[in-house]
Amino acid sequence: MISRITRQGQDRSEFLVVLFLLALGVLVLVDAARLHSGVGQREPVGPQAVPFLVGGLLVVTAVLLARDILRGGHGEPEGGEDVDLSHGNDWQALLLLSAAFLANIALIERAGWPISGAVLFFGCAYALGSRHFVRDPIIALVLSIGTWYLFVLGLGIGLPVGILKGIL
Amino acid sequence: MGGLSELVGGFYTAVTPINLLYALIGVLLGTAIGVLPGIGPAMAIALLLPLTYGIDDPVSAFIMFAGIYYGGMYGGSTTSILLNTPGESASIVTAIEGNKMAKRGRAAQALATAAIGSFIAGTIGTLLVALLAPGIARLAVQLGSPDYFAVMVLAFVAVTSILGASRVRGFASLLIGLTIGLVGIDLGVSGQQRLTFGIPQLADGIDVIVVAVGLFAVGEALWVAAHLRRQTASLISTGRVRMERADWARSWKPWLRGTALGFPFGAVPAGGAELPTFLSYVTEKKLSKHPEEFGHGAIEGVAGPEATNNASAAGGLVPLLTLGLPTTATAAVLLAAFQQYGIQPGPRLLENEPKLVWGLLASLLIGNAILLVLNLPLAPMWAKLLHIPRPYLYAGILFFACLGAYAVNASTVDLILLFLIGVVGFVMRRYGLPVVPAIIGVILGPRAEVQMRRALQISDGDLSGLFNTTFSVTVYAVIAVLVLWPLVNRFVVRPRRQRRAPDGAERWPAADALPGEPAQDGERVWSVPEARTGDDATVDAPAARPLDSASLPDEPDPRQQEKP
Amino acid sequence: MTIVVGYVPKPEGRAAVRRGVAEALLRQEDLLVVNAARGDSYADAGFAPEEELAAVRAELERSGVRAEVRQLVRGVDPADEIMQAAATAAAKLIVIGIRHRTPVGKLILGSTAQRVLLEAGCPVLAVKAESEPA
Repeated sequence: MISRITRQGQDRSEFLVVLFLLALGVLVLVDAARLHSGVGQREPVGPQAVPFLVGGLLVVTAVLLARDILRGGHGEPEGGEDVDLSHGNDWQALLLLSAAFLANIALIERAGWPISGAVLFFGCAYALGSRHFVRDPIIALVLSIGTWYLFVLGLGIGLPVGILKGIL
Repeated sequence: MGGLSELVGGFYTAVTPINLLYALIGVLLGTAIGVLPGIGPAMAIALLLPLTYGIDDPVSAFIMFAGIYYGGMYGGSTTSILLNTPGESASIVTAIEGNKMAKRGRAAQALATAAIGSFIAGTIGTLLVALLAPGIARLAVQLGSPDYFAVMVLAFVAVTSILGASRVRGFASLLIGLTIGLVGIDLGVSGQQRLTFGIPQLADGIDVIVVAVGLFAVGEALWVAAHLRRQTASLISTGRVRMERADWARSWKPWLRGTALGFPFGAVPAGGAELPTFLSYVTEKKLSKHPEEFGHGAIEGVAGPEATNNASAAGGLVPLLTLGLPTTATAAVLLAAFQQYGIQPGPRLLENEPKLVWGLLASLLIGNAILLVLNLPLAPMWAKLLHIPRPYLYAGILFFACLGAYAVNASTVDLILLFLIGVVGFVMRRYGLPVVPAIIGVILGPRAEVQMRRALQISDGDLSGLFNTTFSVTVYAVIAVLVLWPLVNRFVVRPRRQRRAPDGAERWPAADALPGEPAQDGERVWSVPEARTGDDATVDAPAARPLDSASLPDEPDPRQQEKP
Repeated sequence: MTIVVGYVPKPEGRAAVRRGVAEALLRQEDLLVVNAARGDSYADAGFAPEEELAAVRAELERSGVRAEVRQLVRGVDPADEIMQAAATAAAKLIVIGIRHRTPVGKLILGSTAQRVLLEAGCPVLAVKAESEPA
């Protein structure tokens, strides 16, 4: 059960969303302001119409949301089969997951997908709690090499092979 | 009559070895994905969209996607019936009765009625699509830009106002999606860059795959990682999946009623599958000769909703194929798949790509049959997939997400965007912003803009150009009703109802509670994001009142399950 | 002074409970039956449903042994849970059920029994399903 106290605490952080929407809206409006109608052809509604509309609505929605939060409204964090909301965020898991993600980004073009993908899979599995240090790397490698073959040979989509060039 | 003759022609396309293979792959994947909670057909198709680069023939690709679309419906019921979760939390309507049946040793019958009902509903639904599509397409051809724009606005409004109870947040989510859709070169004559900030890779816009995968897959994985539930259950074992005569007798009418209920709802922008499934349950309970069994394992409670689910999925194909209008997140992703191949769904689709459409529909009929064969005897086997640990499932999701996002343009920029959008998805889930409107916004937004500008160009800038056909006016009237109804409710209906409660107790207006309302704090009754709000639309209390079970009306309600 | 039994709803697990009861009666000690699962997957064959646990509790009551049945789902490996329970209760003996697993099977699926046998801080009695008739 989410206690009233927690909920009020959470309410404050919900203003982050308001700020985000506001910032996004301003961004869109500023960017739209520098647009101009197409040269030559007179268009009744130029490229800046929708951005102005969207940006304006973003600001309006931010205000409405702030009003809603102040009136006690509350966006319920999404529940689900796999989600246990009784504790706070597991920051360690999130950081590890992000690290695995970024490792993939860094490695994919240098070391190739078969390696970076395996690192990604293993890292994610580890971040989520799996501690099988023999089984997991094997699964990871099978997946990354398998998908590499599938995409490059089966589908003709290019994936970098990196340092394994020649072997695969 | 209708498209039935073309449908027969479609079989020639569908029955080639290659397409049969793709159909088989599709339904296998779809069932597997349906069995595993946490992954849905929308996410799965989004993850597989990069394959379209390698599959040259769009017919084959769509046969596979459609197989996944339908297959997802079958697998889900297996899990909800056979997973013996401790406690009483039921999150989907079928789960209530089906699970109860299984706990009483009637798992085989529950599985059988679910599979057969799905097959019947899917087959009838697909046939209906074949019948109706040509007629609707012929009518739709007469529609012009203002009409299309109006229908898209309806889709926008519908998706924000039905999901969950907080329209403000749904709208915010839609706007986020529209903003992402804005990035890139303007499609009009000016050709200017919007929101690209000088980054060349953004000039083509952010690829739909990256957005869909980021919001659905990466966002979900991040969110789950932060709150990974450590809970497991046992699988209820079952014998041969079959039904007794009495079960057949009790099931066939719910199957047909469910189909009749689900198809229209699936075909309408405001529909979806949650509402008709719930309605089906309630209807079956009312019409049943054994109403006391409901809540303890009534077979009608499985037969009806299962059929509704599948019929709704089929119904969703009607607006998608004839108007290019998606009514669910999965349909939106399918729309994106069309765009990947440069195909413009709309009324001309049937003219321009008959092979695709009829081959697809024929393949769906075949796929349904394969699904029945796969699921009826093999459902307990599929359930074994539930032994896969969640870390592997989510690591797999992230793995395929990165794979797909990179394959789009062979660019790490896409991977960075994927991560950023994933973070946005995470934040959205944290603060109760539904994800589906964002996807609809990204996919439908640019198309809506094109239609609006074209309509205004035709009318030479006159705003009435958006309203100058009867069709568009009607649609806007419907939109007005949808938007204004909650306000009317608040200022007219509710005060009247309160006056009728002389005991002074503030009665919770259950009647206008949407099926998305949660029964318990934190508990999800439907698989839609919930939001409890002080939003004008649903609460008229001057002080914020946290929703707790004490203030809900006391009625035997299939949605209310106790959490131990 | 306790005897810890590692229980799973399978023949070897039930055999372990029976043997555990016998040992407890013999040594005049208490019994702690532990059913542990990581909770990583949606379904776990080692997770005992309510009905099974109730049956175990009933059997323990019939036997007259002072016993407690605990179900733990905490993201911890079952082997560790069993050994931790034994350590906390200062157990004299751990009883677990085993069945034959090929080396490859052990690699892929792991072996709780093997880990407990090798790492536990007290004697471990491993029983097979067939050796403990009901």
